[in-house]
Amino acid sequence: MSELIEVVPPKRKLKVKASSTSDRVFYGISTAAAYSTIFLVVAILFFLSVRAWPTFERFGVINFVFGSGWDNTLENPSFAIGPMLYGSFLIAGIGVLFAVPMAISIAYFIEFMAAKPIAKATAFLVDLLAAIPSVVIGIWGLTIFSSVGAHWGEMLHNALGFLPMFENDAGNFLRTPFIAGIIVSVMIVPIIASITREIFSQIDKDLISASLALGGNRESTFRKVILPTASGGIIGGVLLALGRALGETVAIFFVLNLVFNEVNWFRIVLPEGGAIASLILAKFADATADEISALLAAGVVLFVFTLIINSIASYIVVKAQPWRK
Amino acid sequence: MEKVVDLTPVERPKKSTPWTAVSAKTKLTLIVASLIPGIVFLYFLIAADMDFMAGLILVFLPLQLVSSSLAGILILGRRGILDGMMITTTLFLGSFVFVLLMSVMWAVIERGFATLSPQFIYQNDVYVTPTTGLEIGGVGHAVLGTLLVVGLSTIVTVPLALATAVYLTETRGKSRGLIRTLLQAMSGLPSVVSGLFIYSMLIISGITSYAGWVGSLALIPLMLPTVSRVAEEALRLVPAELRNGALGLGASAWSAFSMVTLPAAKSGLVTAVLLGVARIVGETAPLLLTTSLANKTNLNILEGGISTLPTYLYGYVSLGYDTSIQRAWGAALVLLILVGILFIAARVASSPKSAKKRK
Repeated sequence: MSELIEVVPPKRKLKVKASSTSDRVFYGISTAAAYSTIFLVVAILFFLSVRAWPTFERFGVINFVFGSGWDNTLENPSFAIGPMLYGSFLIAGIGVLFAVPMAISIAYFIEFMAAKPIAKATAFLVDLLAAIPSVVIGIWGLTIFSSVGAHWGEMLHNALGFLPMFENDAGNFLRTPFIAGIIVSVMIVPIIASITREIFSQIDKDLISASLALGGNRESTFRKVILPTASGGIIGGVLLALGRALGETVAIFFVLNLVFNEVNWFRIVLPEGGAIASLILAKFADATADEISALLAAGVVLFVFTLIINSIASYIVVKAQPWRK
Repeated sequence: MEKVVDLTPVERPKKSTPWTAVSAKTKLTLIVASLIPGIVFLYFLIAADMDFMAGLILVFLPLQLVSSSLAGILILGRRGILDGMMITTTLFLGSFVFVLLMSVMWAVIERGFATLSPQFIYQNDVYVTPTTGLEIGGVGHAVLGTLLVVGLSTIVTVPLALATAVYLTETRGKSRGLIRTLLQAMSGLPSVVSGLFIYSMLIISGITSYAGWVGSLALIPLMLPTVSRVAEEALRLVPAELRNGALGLGASAWSAFSMVTLPAAKSGLVTAVLLGVARIVGETAPLLLTTSLANKTNLNILEGGISTLPTYLYGYVSLGYDTSIQRAWGAALVLLILVGILFIAARVASSPKSAKKRK
């Protein structure tokens, strides 16, 4: 067999590589920018871990993360973030507990109940709530909501005080995890609501019509068609919101009494609680060199936890939308 | 016999959607069902002096649930019971969000306007102690500081983020999946950790001390994922046919991008930038760790203390005096107005109407 002869020599070589200078510059710049993202993440992990390493080495990772006590006045200062870590999750849990019903309701209202102009206005308001900076919600929580929330906490204590959850022997209901949880829920409602709404709006309308045609009513359609279809997306949204709640700093710092020595497991109306991000803010101003390292280590732990939660969340959100490529 | 076709026109229904008509009985039932629980609740509030929140949950909600399920029976029969309950619950919980939002907005507007005055906008705080009256001093220096710090991070971040979005959509680079994952991870970065990162990289190492530009750096990891994610969505919305058409006509990748894709995605990209700025303009924690407060105007972003609106707010709240908290409310209002302007600008830029008008 002879070689193939090119009858018409091609004018341009068909290859993926850029041929002109402007293209090369264009691709070069965008690639460089994209790789700088890798650099940034590596730098964040590197610098935080390098500075935090002495703490981890000295106290041990397990002791530092799950032990309790934070004292820099001793000869041998001891740093551990167990109460703070648990407190972060407690507050985020309370926040999610309050936020999820509100967020699903408002998403359902926008997508399936309200007339179009009202739905649009409501969606605008929810977006507006998302745009309010957390420090503004913090000052609202401190000066206005705290007293209201303390009153609610007191009522819970008076009515249900026999439950260990609502025990309070401090005689004071301000600066409790309960209040901090509600403040956090104000911040995460719009996150959950917008993701839920997104998922609701992508549900196949034929499914809903089919359910109604088979004699289903509003409630059974919601319970048996809408909710199962959207549940993955809602769970993902809740996890994303949880990540946000864990990282919330200033607003929680304003309204929570941090207690470093022991874990407040479930007594939510007692003015004792913890939050890692607020710990960093509280101890940063007059920290010794050892303490700075411990704070950075706390930051690393916080980052690792939010990273895990966020990765699971985004995986679930993507899985929940198989129709989206 | 021949059948005559009847050509007299049928009278058209007056309403185009007759099935939406609601009968008078239904209307009456709905009105009664929604009035009675309210009246009983009001009675408990006024006569029995019940606490509002306890009454709302213990009296109003159960009564409303019962009355709306009764209304459901009257209107739809037995299958209306759960419907009525569900509508009640949805509206009840949904209105909570509305109440919370209104409470925050009203507090900021009411107390902020009590503080706001012309000199509060443009003066700085050189002669102000925590208890000084509101007639002198203001947020002028903090507004300038916010503009400088946020402006610098915007200048650095926007080209980087847009180029990253271009890499993700326009090129067939090998590491697109990795970059997307990293952006996702970065969007979950707690803001205080971002501040700690810059602090440990630049300030502990002794490279620099607290300064405005350090704060700007701390805001970059927070802004980058927002801008590039929204920009990626905007670029993705440009139909592939447009791009392929340009390439098929012989355009190079760069001219196809700059002359076809970029104009088509312009409003989306503007939205991306505005949302990114709105995301960082209220960030407090990273700036607290990387800048120091100042009470005089500092236009030098390279050194010295610089106040920004969020840190100003934080500082005056921590002082705890009545007048200082008043000042903080004023700063909150100014901050909210800034965010509101950005928010509305992003809406206008992304709304399809304005895009059509420009054509």
